[in-house]
Amino acid sequence: MIEINEVTKQFQDKKKFVTALKHVSFSVNKGEVVGLLGENGAGKTTLLRTIATLLQPTDGTVTVSGYDTIKNPNEIKKRIGVLFGGETGLYDRLTARENLEYFAVLYGLSKHETKVRIDDLAKMFGMRDYLDRKVGGFSKGMRQKVSIARTLIHNPDIILFDEPTTGLDITSSNVFRQLVHQLKREGKTILFSSHIMEEVSMLCDSVAMMHKGELVYHGNLQELYQSEGSSDLNYIFMSKLVRGNENYAS
Amino acid sequence: MLLKIYLKELKDCFRDRRTLFLTVLLPIVMMTGLTFFYEQLVSGDEGETYTLAVDQSFGKEEEKILAGFDNIDIVKSSDPEKTLEDGDAAAALVLSPDFISKIESGQEASVTMVGDSFSQKSSNLMSLVSNALSIYEKTVISERLQAQGTDLKLIQPFTIDQKEMSEEDPNINLIAMLIPLILSIAIGIGAGPAASDLFAGEKERKTMEALLMTPVKRPTLLFAKWLTIATIGAVTGIITLIVVAIEINLLTENLRKAVSFGDNAGLVIGFGVLVSVIYAMFTASLLMLTSVIGKTVKESQSYSTPIMMLAVFPTMITTGIGVNELSFQHFAIPVLNLFSLLKELLFGVINYEHILITIASNLICMIIIFIIGRILFLKDKWVMN
Repeated sequence: MIEINEVTKQFQDKKKFVTALKHVSFSVNKGEVVGLLGENGAGKTTLLRTIATLLQPTDGTVTVSGYDTIKNPNEIKKRIGVLFGGETGLYDRLTARENLEYFAVLYGLSKHETKVRIDDLAKMFGMRDYLDRKVGGFSKGMRQKVSIARTLIHNPDIILFDEPTTGLDITSSNVFRQLVHQLKREGKTILFSSHIMEEVSMLCDSVAMMHKGELVYHGNLQELYQSEGSSDLNYIFMSKLVRGNENYAS
Repeated sequence: MLLKIYLKELKDCFRDRRTLFLTVLLPIVMMTGLTFFYEQLVSGDEGETYTLAVDQSFGKEEEKILAGFDNIDIVKSSDPEKTLEDGDAAAALVLSPDFISKIESGQEASVTMVGDSFSQKSSNLMSLVSNALSIYEKTVISERLQAQGTDLKLIQPFTIDQKEMSEEDPNINLIAMLIPLILSIAIGIGAGPAASDLFAGEKERKTMEALLMTPVKRPTLLFAKWLTIATIGAVTGIITLIVVAIEINLLTENLRKAVSFGDNAGLVIGFGVLVSVIYAMFTASLLMLTSVIGKTVKESQSYSTPIMMLAVFPTMITTGIGVNELSFQHFAIPVLNLFSLLKELLFGVINYEHILITIASNLICMIIIFIIGRILFLKDKWVMN
């Protein structure tokens, strides 16, 4: 479903080139939930933006549902939903319904499809009471629900979340976790980055660990526990980073 | 799709109280303040009286010198200069002792005038007193020459007859300075917040990423946003023109007398609105560019503020130029051409060649700026923080 093949991404910072991704390769299968782990600056957001067609790889290729991110970005955009951060991408002066309607228009949904979809999402997230209120006055939790609903408005098969629970309280984080379970049951493919190991442990089938732009591990979570002889993902992650640093130094 | 994005952007912008304030309320407040200021300026000394401090010895004969100048009130004082310093008079006039009898007997006499040239009131009074003394001086000279049997034509070999080329009320020049100045400032201030919000603001709030993730093409987004900024600027411009027209008509006397377009009224107003809309579109392109470059609203505003300040400078160029002196470059340079064309229109001149040059130069610059904006907007560096 998502094929990342030898992807390198460089940014030009004044006269220097900064390499954010170095020959990253892995794939995410249909219906799989994959956690993307890494420290700040490891390249997680750059990778998600590259998959989402917002950035073009300097080298290598990314294909989503068989479409190349450079050659067919619009085909990919129709099929994926992306949420950067937990409660972003909303217009404060519009109501929750107006926000959702606007993005439905941008994704080419008809009026009838939009109405049905908003009703479904409002029911799913318990948003009916505040659907017609301006987003500016919402709590973080309410905003998060509308943001996720906005991401799912066109019913995408593939969903990318970039640190979706950062800065959210426990209740809002639980809403997100329940949603991932539900989406997984619906057969959606999910790739999300996180710093919270419990969350990854609880939700993911596989993990991809990144360190200084390189992929240091990718594989099934249960297999990882067996090979490392521990089910403490935090410990495994730290030891992978130490090994990554040693390799980096050598 | 373009229309739907444009309508959403307009709805979003007009729900912002700041945009509403700057688009509607600010032009009304600015125009009202400036209209009244200019009205007062042109009606200036009408009906105003000035107090002149004179010596106690200033008698009936001396007062005759100032006869005919009804707006001069005389106050006698033992120390006229002290009276002036105390603020009880606008100027002081000190005549040498026995002034009139010395003049009549042909002896030398002197006049000392004291005033404050930094004060408009004092300057006006000194000018009036100087005029009165000049008239008196000429009368004395005439009487002396006549007494000697000399023909008066000797001291007045010719007469000067000064005629005005333009039949327009001189106050129209003030209006020709006032309207473009306020219009350019109002359009910049009105469209500024929306421009900053639509690109830099969206980057800051991360709604830009959400927008770019949709299958809508970037040039469509760019054009819809530019159109929104241009619309807000044009609305501000039109409101400004309506407010100034209503206020000049209903609340002023001197300015109203100055504005008279005769049979061309409809065309002048129509072209005035057209040039305002074109200017709003040009300003929208510039503001759009500053917002695309800015990573945050604050950064975008720090780029746009100096650019908007430039809009004030053309008034310094066009104020001293007569309508007949306006040439190609005055209409070919954007911003300057707003001032030049509105000046022509306010003087009742409709020159189609100048109108075309103005529209064409604005459109060319607008297209160039728009292309630069498009190039930047297609690059990831400028659309994501």
